[in-house]
Amino acid sequence: MLNADHADARRAELSDLIERVAQGDRSALALVYDRTSAKLYGVCLRIARDREDAEDILQDVYMKVWNRAGRFDRGCGSPITWLCAIARNAAIDWVRKHGVPAVPAIDPSAAPTSDIGDAGAAMVANEGRAHIFDCLDSLPDNQQRAIRLAYFDGSSHSELANTMQVPLGTIKSWIRRGLLQLRGCLQGE
Amino acid sequence: MNNDLSSELTDLAAELALGVLEGDDRANALRNQLANPAFAAMVRTWQDRFEPLGDAFAETPPPHLWPAIAARLDDQPKTDHPNKIRFWRNSATLAGALAAGLAAVMIFNPTANRNPTGNQDAGQPAAQAAIAQLTGEGGSLFAANGVPASGQISIRAVTLPASALVPELWIIPADGVPRSLGVFKAAGVTQIALPAGVQPLLVDGATLAVSLERAQGAPHAAPSSTPIATGIISTL
Repeated sequence: MLNADHADARRAELSDLIERVAQGDRSALALVYDRTSAKLYGVCLRIARDREDAEDILQDVYMKVWNRAGRFDRGCGSPITWLCAIARNAAIDWVRKHGVPAVPAIDPSAAPTSDIGDAGAAMVANEGRAHIFDCLDSLPDNQQRAIRLAYFDGSSHSELANTMQVPLGTIKSWIRRGLLQLRGCLQGE
Repeated sequence: MNNDLSSELTDLAAELALGVLEGDDRANALRNQLANPAFAAMVRTWQDRFEPLGDAFAETPPPHLWPAIAARLDDQPKTDHPNKIRFWRNSATLAGALAAGLAAVMIFNPTANRNPTGNQDAGQPAAQAAIAQLTGEGGSLFAANGVPASGQISIRAVTLPASALVPELWIIPADGVPRSLGVFKAAGVTQIALPAGVQPLLVDGATLAVSLERAQGAPHAAPSSTPIATGIISTL
């Protein structure tokens, strides 16, 4: 695992690269691609669930990075977060437009809903950043599972209703109650 | 701080940030994100809350896609990309002063030479001068003015991000559905001839928004991305 200084240095370096991209430096975009494509492809693949589709989305993502780099503000968050948000939004836009293959997001019996959260929490060195994983864990099982599937797999309300085999209204209510409780937990209520 | 959002909209903002919406709900949320700054701010708040979750996405090396991306970059018009951003960066501190100057110019516009301090919230008829200052999160700043009844308004891009996309102006009336007023120049003042039917929509309190769009196909039926700036029309 990276120590905190190393992580800070990598973050600063990536921010520098994105700022160079904003100035039209194509070699900087190539370096951003080298450093981040595995992560962003992971996001696209997880949500699109199809390698070829994920490849198309990933190309769009770096075109968006090229066009939007001028909007990146290193004071407002980490560069990888900014990149992940672009990838996640692009992938969700894509699946909302084209639909997803009828492949279940994850096999519910094979993959316990908590595994990604635990893995994520373990990767998050900073205690403040890990808080949302703890808050998710504190939700009732159905609510946290619905929220995890929505976030990590880009599942919509109706896809969740299918995956979780409950009526749409139930899903909507789980998500709403879960988000409300999540907000309370994150705000320390 | 977002007390002016209904609880329905507060929930909707969280659901949009989570990514769970689809169909009409998603369209409605995206419209609100465009038209309602408090809603857009709530979406950002939720995006920030979810942000650490992104650490948990597994890394998966993709096939070698860089050549395909590089080829697409070749197809992009980007002649003034570096210069433009350098210019805006260097003039960042000027932007505020510039905007203040523009506001003064608009208020002293001969068609609107009433009260320079402009208390204009009394529901004046639309056959008056209309002004709006459009601001966005990334410091984007636009100034619009004109007399809607004349069928023309002007918009000036004061600060906007460098992009191969073009700025497109939208009017969002009370029904929340954005109508394109057309694309405009990324620098200087653009005179926009109002498309048929939108003129009555440019009334006191209606929202103007700017999004970045592809030049092809403009004016578009609907914005493809969130706005980089929004502002409320005041009539004088």
